Amino acid sequence: MLAYSIKRLLTLIPTLLAASILVFLFVHLIPGDPAAILLGDTATPEEVAQLSAEMGFDRSLWVQYMLWLGNVLQGDLGTSIFFREPVLSVIGNGAETSILLATMTMVWIIIIGLPIGILSATKHGTWMDQLTSSGAMLAASIPTFWLGLYLIMIFSVYLGWFPSSGFPSLSDEGGLSNLRYLLLPSLTLAAPNAALIVRLVRASMLDVAREDHVRTARAKGLHPSRVAIKHIFRNALISVAAAFGFTFAALISEAVVTETVFSLPGIGRLVVQSILRRDYPVIQGVILIIVVLYMVINLLVDLAYARLDPRVSLK
Amino acid sequence: MNAVNFLRATFKGRKLATVGFIWLCLIALAAIAAPLIAPFDPLEIDPVGRLAKPGWPNLFGTDHFGRDTFSRAIYGARMTVIIGMGSVIVALVAGGAVGMLSAYFTRLGHFLMRGVDVLMAFPALLMALVLITLLERSVYNTILVIGIVYATTTARILYGMTLKLKGEVFVDAAICSGAGHNSILFRHILPNLVSPLLVQASFIFAFAQLQAAALDFLGLGLPPEVPSWGNMLSEERIYITRAPWLLIYPGMLIVLSVFSMNLVGDALRDSIDPRFKDDIAGV
Amino acid sequence: MALLEVENLEIAVSSKGKLLPIVQGVSFDVDDNETLGIVGESGCGKSLTSLAIMGLLGGTTVRITNGNIRFEGVDLLTLPEKDRRTIMGNRMAMIFQEPMTSLNPVYRIGDQIIENLRQHENLSYAKARDRAVELLTLVRIPNPGERVDSFPHQLSGGQRQRVMIAMALSCDPKLLIADEPTTALDVTVQKEVLDLMADLQKRMGTAIVLISHDLGVIAETCDKIAVMYRGRVAEAASTADLFTELAHPYTRGLLNSIPFVDRDIEWLEAIPGRVPTLEEELTGCAFHPRCALATDLCSLIVPDTSQFKPGHAVQCHFPGKVTS
Repeated sequence: MLAYSIKRLLTLIPTLLAASILVFLFVHLIPGDPAAILLGDTATPEEVAQLSAEMGFDRSLWVQYMLWLGNVLQGDLGTSIFFREPVLSVIGNGAETSILLATMTMVWIIIIGLPIGILSATKHGTWMDQLTSSGAMLAASIPTFWLGLYLIMIFSVYLGWFPSSGFPSLSDEGGLSNLRYLLLPSLTLAAPNAALIVRLVRASMLDVAREDHVRTARAKGLHPSRVAIKHIFRNALISVAAAFGFTFAALISEAVVTETVFSLPGIGRLVVQSILRRDYPVIQGVILIIVVLYMVINLLVDLAYARLDPRVSLK
Repeated sequence: MNAVNFLRATFKGRKLATVGFIWLCLIALAAIAAPLIAPFDPLEIDPVGRLAKPGWPNLFGTDHFGRDTFSRAIYGARMTVIIGMGSVIVALVAGGAVGMLSAYFTRLGHFLMRGVDVLMAFPALLMALVLITLLERSVYNTILVIGIVYATTTARILYGMTLKLKGEVFVDAAICSGAGHNSILFRHILPNLVSPLLVQASFIFAFAQLQAAALDFLGLGLPPEVPSWGNMLSEERIYITRAPWLLIYPGMLIVLSVFSMNLVGDALRDSIDPRFKDDIAGV
Repeated sequence: MALLEVENLEIAVSSKGKLLPIVQGVSFDVDDNETLGIVGESGCGKSLTSLAIMGLLGGTTVRITNGNIRFEGVDLLTLPEKDRRTIMGNRMAMIFQEPMTSLNPVYRIGDQIIENLRQHENLSYAKARDRAVELLTLVRIPNPGERVDSFPHQLSGGQRQRVMIAMALSCDPKLLIADEPTTALDVTVQKEVLDLMADLQKRMGTAIVLISHDLGVIAETCDKIAVMYRGRVAEAASTADLFTELAHPYTRGLLNSIPFVDRDIEWLEAIPGRVPTLEEELTGCAFHPRCALATDLCSLIVPDTSQFKPGHAVQCHFPGKVTS
């Protein structure tokens, strides 16, 4: 498996490079002098000229790309115009929030989505199946920010059970109980994604249930729930596992809206604010990191695939 | 194929989907006839009558500028339809062309699809945000951005489907009878792709709504003067406790429209060629 | 009392709000250690009958609408679900036509056999695993000690079918139902599998219901034969009786269409016409449109099943006419 992972990582490199070129070009696609853009509106012409020379903006694009790439590989993603700090540390500040949010959301998705999906499939054809299927589709149609606003209104404003904004770090006072700040946001983010998982699990299980080996399992006199879990669900997991990986990746971008609604100091909100503030180095840095993350997730999904389906050979 | 028969076959026995389809027709009607139906000018400000509760003559109440919410909602339907259809067209044309041509001309295809893979490494909303940064806020740019975002998945799907079709016997038959590329593509392959394209179109329409609403909410979508359901939510967000109806109506409209589109897409998917059923992404 | 008694079995499918009978009036018995062959064309209902006996029709649009099935004296059709499950895989087992897809691809074959063993017998995992290896040896899988940890995709079709047999016989059932077990296999492999089944039957004393469309296979291995046509048993008799004194025109037609190696045949006689579809309603004998000996009576009245000779049942208005 290690050899396979390394091989796959190697094939990722061309795609990573191509994506990095796109990210690099991003700043240069913006109309205007890149150095002026990077320094922001308050820069003087001398500062602009100086940065231009430093960054090599007067040299060819290829050279600039190489310089940039070299910096990136050493961990230097540039400097934020707004914060006047290295981009990497700015992003790092938001990482804790975003990672915790994504993890909590995945937990909700698994504990809500999987059981309902399995239930829906096993009760196929009954009113329960109709209800959960339509309900899932409805839940997937709700805009996350709208759901978030209403959860805030009900649970924060009227009931006062949960806080409506912000997130103190776990290392601040309150410790783990600070996670309650992430409860509503993670539920908001989980709802539409759990719905998609429900539908996917249901569809996959119904497909598998028609296969011959399920009939064999029944012919062995196994209890129906054992057949449903060990023979139907386990086989359906093959298709579902890939979706989990991509859901996690999608969470990264969807978190943007949720973090804005709940004013969470995460990377998503950072991106939006940076866009509004025209803080291009930060935008560039975040995108780059997210792209890399996406590809790593792809790789993990492939590995999981091989683990779940013995027929897939790691060649 | 007869349109009426097609509709009947698709929606037979599916009550919910039929209701969804009717709702969508109503939305389309509202969009087209907006100037005729809307009781008030959606942009007309009335500082005296701000934040009025739903009733008469403001069926949905008024917003913080005193504008009639019901009229704004009707004009918002117009945006819904325009953004939806626009994104679908961009995605299907761009993505469909890339996908089909990549599958048909395989050497070019390998190169193109690698490019699509690279683009797919960027999560949807993020890509939209990035593109928006480069462009100014306008209706056209919103359509363009969302369309491009979904063009990638469309390209992938069309690629797979065209490959399947290419391997079928009727293509060989067409080649034998001397058909040229144009003919094979447009007269033989494309007609077979119409129904899966329709299904894909409905799901893109649904997702495009959610993306557009999210962009509007973040202040990065349509310009604020344009009445859209997403913009209405964005602007009235702080009045959630004082005037909850201002958020309920546009929100429900979005939910119902997206839900309807998903239902219709689902119904269509069940009635298309079983070969392609696994290829179609979506709810 | 026979091991398995099927009496007047009727199975129907609900289609567009109506109940269409697919299998009607099917009756036969199987005794201990006996082999019954059910033969007929595709669509004659033989597979459905076997699934009905095994209890695998649940959850489909097909239902048993009439009749009795008694196994070891117990009425299977009124038996509660959980009691039925103690019989399945244990006292009565089944193997299927498609060995390539009948095993679960994500579990090792040993574990699949062990699952059956531990479901019905109180065995530790280690003991069950030993038994699984024994069973693999019994079905002549080479290297059973290693193979027990293989995945199905690592075995050939013939080997997978043997594994199915091993799994089915793991709890020493009194009855094995084999639905076209060799149809999907190469001819040489077919013979191996059939020989294996015959051998195992001798050793373990299992009764077998063998379903096939291949009369040659049935003739070689079965003590009794039931010929089915369009959901009914046309003729049922001991193998010897059936071949020496067949009484139903359909049976005659079947025999005539076999290319026997030891005869000089110029024409292969096919039975004229085709099997009618489910929806086509017929009056009278189901076979009459294709029968050379049909009379008006045959087209109007469904024939009763009569005893042509003791132990030889026929459903025809003129049993025996075809050979005279």
